[in-house]
Amino acid sequence: MALKKAAKKTEPAGPPQLLWRRDGASCLVTNDFGQYAWLKKKDFDLLLAGRLGGKHPRYAALADKGFIRDRLDFDGLAAKWRSKNAFLNSGPGLHILVLTLRCNHKCLYCQSAAAGPGARDTDMSAATAKKCVDFAFQSPNPGITIEFQGGEPLLNWEALKAAVLHARGKAKKTGKNLSLALVSNFSLMTEEKAQFLMEQEVSICTSLDGPADLHNRNRVFCGGNSHAATVKWLKFFQARHARQVPEYRVFKPSALLTVSRYSLGRHKEIIDEYVKAGLEDVFVRPLAPIGYAKNLWGQIGYEAKDFADFYLKSLDYILKLNRRGVVIREKMAAMMLDKIVNARDPGYLDARCPCGAAIGQIAYNYNGDLYTCDEGRMVGWEGDDAFKIGNVRKDTYRKVLTSGAARACVLSSNLESQPDCARCAYKPYCGVCPVYNYEAQGSLWGDMATNDRCGLFKGIFGALFALLKKPGNETILKNWVGK
Amino acid sequence: MNKKPAAKTKVSVSLKKYPIETVRYAAHAVSCAARVFIRTAGRDTAVAEFEPTGRLPGAKIAAAFRAELADEALRASVYAANRELRDFMILKALSAQAAPPPRQDDSGLTPEQEKELDALIAQVESEIKQEAASGAASDPLGITRTWEDKYGAKKSRKKN
Repeated sequence: MALKKAAKKTEPAGPPQLLWRRDGASCLVTNDFGQYAWLKKKDFDLLLAGRLGGKHPRYAALADKGFIRDRLDFDGLAAKWRSKNAFLNSGPGLHILVLTLRCNHKCLYCQSAAAGPGARDTDMSAATAKKCVDFAFQSPNPGITIEFQGGEPLLNWEALKAAVLHARGKAKKTGKNLSLALVSNFSLMTEEKAQFLMEQEVSICTSLDGPADLHNRNRVFCGGNSHAATVKWLKFFQARHARQVPEYRVFKPSALLTVSRYSLGRHKEIIDEYVKAGLEDVFVRPLAPIGYAKNLWGQIGYEAKDFADFYLKSLDYILKLNRRGVVIREKMAAMMLDKIVNARDPGYLDARCPCGAAIGQIAYNYNGDLYTCDEGRMVGWEGDDAFKIGNVRKDTYRKVLTSGAARACVLSSNLESQPDCARCAYKPYCGVCPVYNYEAQGSLWGDMATNDRCGLFKGIFGALFALLKKPGNETILKNWVGK
Repeated sequence: MNKKPAAKTKVSVSLKKYPIETVRYAAHAVSCAARVFIRTAGRDTAVAEFEPTGRLPGAKIAAAFRAELADEALRASVYAANRELRDFMILKALSAQAAPPPRQDDSGLTPEQEKELDALIAQVESEIKQEAASGAASDPLGITRTWEDKYGAKKSRKKN
């Protein structure tokens, strides 16, 4: 029997759901499922008209990515969306315990509202630290990360020790997956403390701003040489990581780079310093006009375009080193690439929709006050408790998570309700920060058309997508997140 | 001394072609480079005025605004065409159950029963082998042959 003749020409399927960004003769398209493609203008027009036919060389690939409206794999695409947004079902996973506001450094850009070493009234008591741990374990998230911060957390060793041991006990009891992390300037580290931290599998993170002169200029340490202490202990933990013992895992130490005006133009020296220290990640972070940095902005701050320039040069230099076989990657790019290439959530709370405030992280101040995030806590220290969501001794988990500040942050960081973001091709990978908006622009929503943070992120995404276009770079960058 | 405000550049937009929401967003998109004033002129026209705040000249801002107008109209049509589909997909993703953990191989039998079953299977297999060896494999009924082998290819019923 002859097949029934196909119906006359079918109507075009209509435009697919997509966002785009024009770049000369080509166009970057992205969609809700985190998929992207570069198209020539002609193909972009065909796609929007729903007339990109089955014989088109890009048809199959675009269909796979959910860009062909009448060829959508509902189950597969829904699974991608779910994986990309897995955090929505988890509850706060990161719990930042500010063990003390005391610090022996006076970093020019400090956001932590640090107090002098004598201000013991800003120490968290061991009892409060345990309460904080108990509170953290109320989160439905099966993985709990407790990060010890300050001030300099090693100034309150007793509370740190108590919290670590209590958390390990809670993890055993609840069966939750616990990660412990310490952010320290290392100036008070001793072998005894290091041994305890390693035995308890606490991962270690410090700040390294580059070569000694630059690091010490940014990170003023009256009691000695900050750079020397940092490098000494980085080497110590590197060495212990290299020769593991069967009883416990020793994590590779990591470091954070904060870019001040003094760093601009010195990207090569900074990255070389990281390589020299045996670090495999450099997290190039911009200054934020919060805390001390806000007051010293005229001296150490810069415009978004200055940072973008620094960042792109750094990325370029890192790729050059990679081609020579040096193992190093830029952390922010790696996290964004994980979203772009693997449609995965790398756990970067600053670039989520909604942002991680309260629903992804909670900051616990030394006195048990709870904030949406560490940046929100710093705003609180300046006398504005707009981001306070409760107190660990007084409030229930439910009350904290449904507090006004928590809800306001969720609403204002929902990119669907941000007029610029809802239209932006980088939306599937990006996120806004209500605290930044509040501090820099005077409202939780901010105005992305004139927002420096938005400008920075656009610069980073622009650079990454441009690099992914070139096959040589694409291979290297995909390797960064290939694991 | 007061700084002299930059000259304004005007662009007229037909509201028959672009709804006022489209004009408003397109204007917002260039607000990083200029102060924007929008007013209506009659029923069918909107006028957008741009007062540059930076180095970008008014003509370039106006050009960017026009490009943004066209793109915003496209976005509106894409959004309208996909609204229900997006809702459906996101609802599907949100309501989908996480993949259940792989099931343990649990036949519900005790170890003794499993041993018995294994012995029985081994016995049946050996009987089949014996039968095959004693000629049962010759298949007198032709059960193992295909329909085509047995009866030949199907003939057409159609008469010529």
